[in-house]
Amino acid sequence: MTKPSRILVLTAGLLLAGSAVLSLYAAVGCDLNDPDRDVKRLFPASTGYKTLYVSIAKKGGDGLLRQIEDRLGDKFTGLFETADVPYTMYEITQGPTLIGYIHGVNQKGTYGGLQAVLALDPKGVIKAFYFQKLTSKAAKAFRDPAFGAQFVGLSLEDFYKYDVVSGREDPPGPISRIKNPDPEAEKDFRAALRAAKKDLILVDEFLLGNAHLKYFKGQER
Amino acid sequence: MKKLSIFEVAWKSLLRKKTRSLLTIMGIAMAAWVLVSLFGFNRGYERSLNKDIDNLGFQMLVVAKGCPYEAATLMLKGGTGLKYMAEGIAKSVAAEPEVEGVTPMLMQVVFDPNKGESGGLAAFLGVDPLTFPKMKSALPFKAGGWFREPEAVEAVFGYEVAELEQREVGDLYLIPEKNVEVKVVGILERTGTQDDGTIFLPLKTVQKIFGVEQLTSIGIKVKKEADLKAFEDKMYKLPDVQVVSLTQVKTTIMTLVSTARVMVFSIALIAILIAMMGVVNTVLMSVMERRQEIGILKSMGAMAGDIFKLVWLETILLCLAGGLIGTGLALVTARLTDILVRRLLPYSPSGGLVAIDPGLVLMALGVVTAIGLASGIYPSWKAARMRPLDTIRSEVES
Repeated sequence: MTKPSRILVLTAGLLLAGSAVLSLYAAVGCDLNDPDRDVKRLFPASTGYKTLYVSIAKKGGDGLLRQIEDRLGDKFTGLFETADVPYTMYEITQGPTLIGYIHGVNQKGTYGGLQAVLALDPKGVIKAFYFQKLTSKAAKAFRDPAFGAQFVGLSLEDFYKYDVVSGREDPPGPISRIKNPDPEAEKDFRAALRAAKKDLILVDEFLLGNAHLKYFKGQER
Repeated sequence: MKKLSIFEVAWKSLLRKKTRSLLTIMGIAMAAWVLVSLFGFNRGYERSLNKDIDNLGFQMLVVAKGCPYEAATLMLKGGTGLKYMAEGIAKSVAAEPEVEGVTPMLMQVVFDPNKGESGGLAAFLGVDPLTFPKMKSALPFKAGGWFREPEAVEAVFGYEVAELEQREVGDLYLIPEKNVEVKVVGILERTGTQDDGTIFLPLKTVQKIFGVEQLTSIGIKVKKEADLKAFEDKMYKLPDVQVVSLTQVKTTIMTLVSTARVMVFSIALIAILIAMMGVVNTVLMSVMERRQEIGILKSMGAMAGDIFKLVWLETILLCLAGGLIGTGLALVTARLTDILVRRLLPYSPSGGLVAIDPGLVLMALGVVTAIGLASGIYPSWKAARMRPLDTIRSEVES
């Protein structure tokens, strides 16, 4: 067998053998593209971070999923928004002190998946919002830092008043003041707000011990 | 008084020394177990490997020389380096007598500035709706199905890319750079191959969107009876193409399997020979212990042929019982054997590795019976030629 033939055999063999390896992949979550770089960019004072892998299925199953859907005000829908999606959460530290969290979620957009990432302070207040991945005709406008800056200072307490299905906040408050940068991309704008609310609920559930649950319809769990 | 048949006499003789008979039967059962499991593995492995290769759709890929033929390689090269071949090549390949079918393909890559922080590449595979789905009939759909029209502005998403893009049947997808909307009509199940990360579109649609009229590769399904090596050599003679053939992989794996098979069959043969010796030993001991009985039978009128038949029947009964138990064990433990073999082998195809069918069971029983017939000849002959007076006298003397 000639050398090129051997390479071809090897490549084709790897294609076959690769099937066993690839089959080990689970449902897709939303990891940071480059955690070292991204953590330093979002928290310049940080000295370290811890990565946590969680899922609704592992923590509470269907019961927890229903509670989260209730808080979100919408059902988890589709093939890829399910209880077994693994979420990757980052706890950011400066020496021994916890200085914040980073968490990103996948959200269905008009033309593709959106990956919305939030950087939060230890109390769950948004420090930064940006799209790690975005397929939209208005991608440029949504990626503009001015759009993400409108989320800074908001928390789950503010988002509870926002209905992700109707796209309305009652009574109008800080969420209503977030401007859609492209009126033709209303669906993607709403998807961004839904992603932010879902992200905040998940962080509250998995990292903040449901500290914001008291603001949800004024009820304690 | 009830008249005993020769079968009943043989059976009673075996029952007289239960432990010895049982141990002999177990020895034969072990040999039969190994034999059936090995042949079952041989058939199962080859069948599963063939199925895996058939499921890939085509055994051969003709690619424009120097063109990356996997999306992963294309990504590594930054989406550059695509080489093309004329569509006419697909027609000339299809006309070859060894070919069962061909499917032309065109891969295109675009830069998506919104994929990740600094952008990324998105790959699209244009496939022929008439031939590709037929060739890849084993590709399972999670939802929807293939596009039907040759120029439909529709797409089928591999599982992982659908998950990443959160696409479902009926959703739209925007081809970056080209700003063309396509409708998602199918989502594939996870296959564990590069199909998981592929976005399939009709070939003509890709050609139209990207303004390319040529192809990057042609998938070839070769007829089962064709001489693959000769056909491969013929393909190598085509100008400016390279050939990627899974036939070579299959041949390599099957050569390795055959080598291992020869070794294991040798072990099975030794096991059978040991079992045979055990049978000869058991029956011969039984004959020697029953010298007086054989002498009396002869003095009562039994012919040498009757004694021969009696002892031979005992041997065949031992072997048949062992054969039945052994094949039964092989059937019961087939799943366990499958798991063990899978752990030991560096590569094993999907599907059952051990295939035991009625034909194999009958073959094993036939082999074991043949062993019984062969190993029973000497003890039977020895018993048949005993002289009645000598045997009775020897008992009196001892």
